[in-house]
Amino acid sequence: MDNLGIFLQIMFWGLYAGCIYILLATGLNLIFGVMKIVNFAHGEFLMIGAYITATIFFLTGINPYVIILLSMLVLIGIGAVVERLCFRPILGTGKLNEIFLSIGLIYIFQNGAAMIWGDAWQSVRSPYGGIEVPVGPLSIPLDYIIIIVFTAMILVALYLFLRKTRTGMEMRATSQNRKGAMLVGIDVERIDIISFGLGCALAAAAGTLWVVSGQVFNPYMGSIPAVKAFAIIIIGGLGSIPGAIIGGLLMGIAENGAAFLLGGIWKDAVSFIILIVVLVIRPTGLFGEKGE
Amino acid sequence: MKYPVLFIAVLLIMAALIAGCTQQASTQQQTTSVSQGVIKVGVIASLTGPASNVGTSMWQSAQVAADKINANGGVTLKDGSKAQLNLVVGDDESTATGGQKAATKLITDDKVDILVGGYSSAVTSAYEQTIADNKIPFIVTGASSPIITHRTDGIDTSYIFHHCPTTDTYGHYTTTFIDQVIRPAVNKKLNASNDRPFRLALLYQNTAFGKGIQTAVNDTITKNQLNIVLVSQQSYTMGDSDFRTQLTAIKAANPDALYLGAFPNEGAPAITQARRDIGLNTIFLSPENNDNAQFYKDLGQYGEGSIIESRFSPYTAPTGPVTDDQAAFKQAYFAKFGTYPDMMGASTYDGVFIAAKAIGNAGTTDKAAVKQALVNLNMPQVIEAMKNQTISFSPDFRESGFDLWMEQLAFNQTLGEPRPSIVWPDNLKTTDFVLPSWYTAGSA
Repeated sequence: MDNLGIFLQIMFWGLYAGCIYILLATGLNLIFGVMKIVNFAHGEFLMIGAYITATIFFLTGINPYVIILLSMLVLIGIGAVVERLCFRPILGTGKLNEIFLSIGLIYIFQNGAAMIWGDAWQSVRSPYGGIEVPVGPLSIPLDYIIIIVFTAMILVALYLFLRKTRTGMEMRATSQNRKGAMLVGIDVERIDIISFGLGCALAAAAGTLWVVSGQVFNPYMGSIPAVKAFAIIIIGGLGSIPGAIIGGLLMGIAENGAAFLLGGIWKDAVSFIILIVVLVIRPTGLFGEKGE
Repeated sequence: MKYPVLFIAVLLIMAALIAGCTQQASTQQQTTSVSQGVIKVGVIASLTGPASNVGTSMWQSAQVAADKINANGGVTLKDGSKAQLNLVVGDDESTATGGQKAATKLITDDKVDILVGGYSSAVTSAYEQTIADNKIPFIVTGASSPIITHRTDGIDTSYIFHHCPTTDTYGHYTTTFIDQVIRPAVNKKLNASNDRPFRLALLYQNTAFGKGIQTAVNDTITKNQLNIVLVSQQSYTMGDSDFRTQLTAIKAANPDALYLGAFPNEGAPAITQARRDIGLNTIFLSPENNDNAQFYKDLGQYGEGSIIESRFSPYTAPTGPVTDDQAAFKQAYFAKFGTYPDMMGASTYDGVFIAAKAIGNAGTTDKAAVKQALVNLNMPQVIEAMKNQTISFSPDFRESGFDLWMEQLAFNQTLGEPRPSIVWPDNLKTTDFVLPSWYTAGSA
């Protein structure tokens, strides 16, 4: 492989990692944008999504890319319950309550998953393992093409939902001005539930794609991706979905570039170096607006 | 304001209760004390966190050992009385702080007489100061960095006994295997002369464990002037599961083989990603802690041709004195837990027998006397093949000597998983090492 080939290959791995980050961070931003809550347990929804996909796959052998839809639907339900029982009662009572609540949820979800599924590492085999597609000078495994296409489809569907449907417009209105939205008759509590459920569904999609790409998973897998998702939404701008997409891509490519050029131990550190640089240059994030 | 505070408090209590459930279940056995004719053996294992797979095997193996010792009458003390072993587990949570908490709890709350276990050198070395402060004998059975008993920072390790081959030992052993077996096979395939340098790549965890392997490989090549050149040395953070970028760099270096200084939850995805995503069709060598049932399951077809350095395997055993004992252990373990033990489980099983023998020899649970009994220990091997078929600790760094071997994996279509066969050394091997048909040698 020549130098151009290696460069393109590293970029591609960055793009793949970015897809997982984008889905996770977009979900987090959707929730923050509408409800303005900080949910450190968001990575646990990725973990639950991974387990739901794996469990159904192990039981039925159904193509895991098909299970992604089911996993997202289940997480919409779980998200709605968590929002109604946990976050709604503390909404507006202070960030400290949200932080402690979400930390409590991390323990509950992690230990709950360990009780249900055990805490050993597991993995899933994609049905398309070994199939490669030539892309320019590269030979790319089909799974990663599917992952990128799925991510793009989910983001397009989210865009259309937010722009073209009444509920989507109500979500945007609530995100822009919660009191204003209430004054014009929008049921913001209904919007909160939908936003939280959708955010969790995006995390479930990220978890499914994590699983089918050959990465191992266990009940504690969500913590690091969640921390990175927070870094991404701060880099991109709190509440900004385009910011989450650009931030996710930037993070994926920077991490893999750093691992190649500086060594694997810099992979995680570079995310937070970028975060510090962005905050110093543009405190509101790349796409954030003042006051957010 | 009262409502959310109350709600969060309830949630936190629920979290603590759920977190405690596993711990409670695991520590049910701790109900008696030394005065009631019971020897308390503390087992430090990673029951939760990234290393929980190995940690669970260690804890369960300790239970199988204690069951066997107790069924045979227990340990005879100096006054002729018999004492039963009572195990108490401490979960290190796969973290250094968790390890400190577990060690402190076992020593001060549970008041154990001796400690066994300890997985991950980074975790175990973090609570060695606690061991030194309390002067309690500790038989380390799962942490393989030499740092465990070779500390140079002033921490007293005289109560710590290392019953687990170090990264120095198996790094050296694996590099020697590469030089004596894989290098000639590759030269033969290429019709190359013996002068052709063998191109070895390393992918290692950036911890005392991974760096220990890296150091051992480098030192072995240099000291023995082996015709091996390290073409790429890539590292990663402990717990990572995406190695595609490092593997791309390794492939670009055109290696003849890749040695992974990795845990099973890292090694299996690394090999899978290398074969499936990167097209790195080479020989992968893994250290002994990967000889684990989950590792075989995770590897699937991509494990074909891989090499594991080993001293205990769930699926094979060397012919010789330990064959029957290993089979009996696996059978007892399977009967109790429905799965097979791994290597760290085997050394922990040994560790409980060593603890019982040392206390029996000392005739008391006095910690200084037990420590001295461990210093003087000379007992027959239990289930792991030892040098001279004897367990004893070296006078300098209190390390026991193991007989190691190398396994090669072959994919079993029926099982959907690979299975190992011993290919080296000659006195233990059941088959010869072969280069797989898909193997591609490196080039300069």
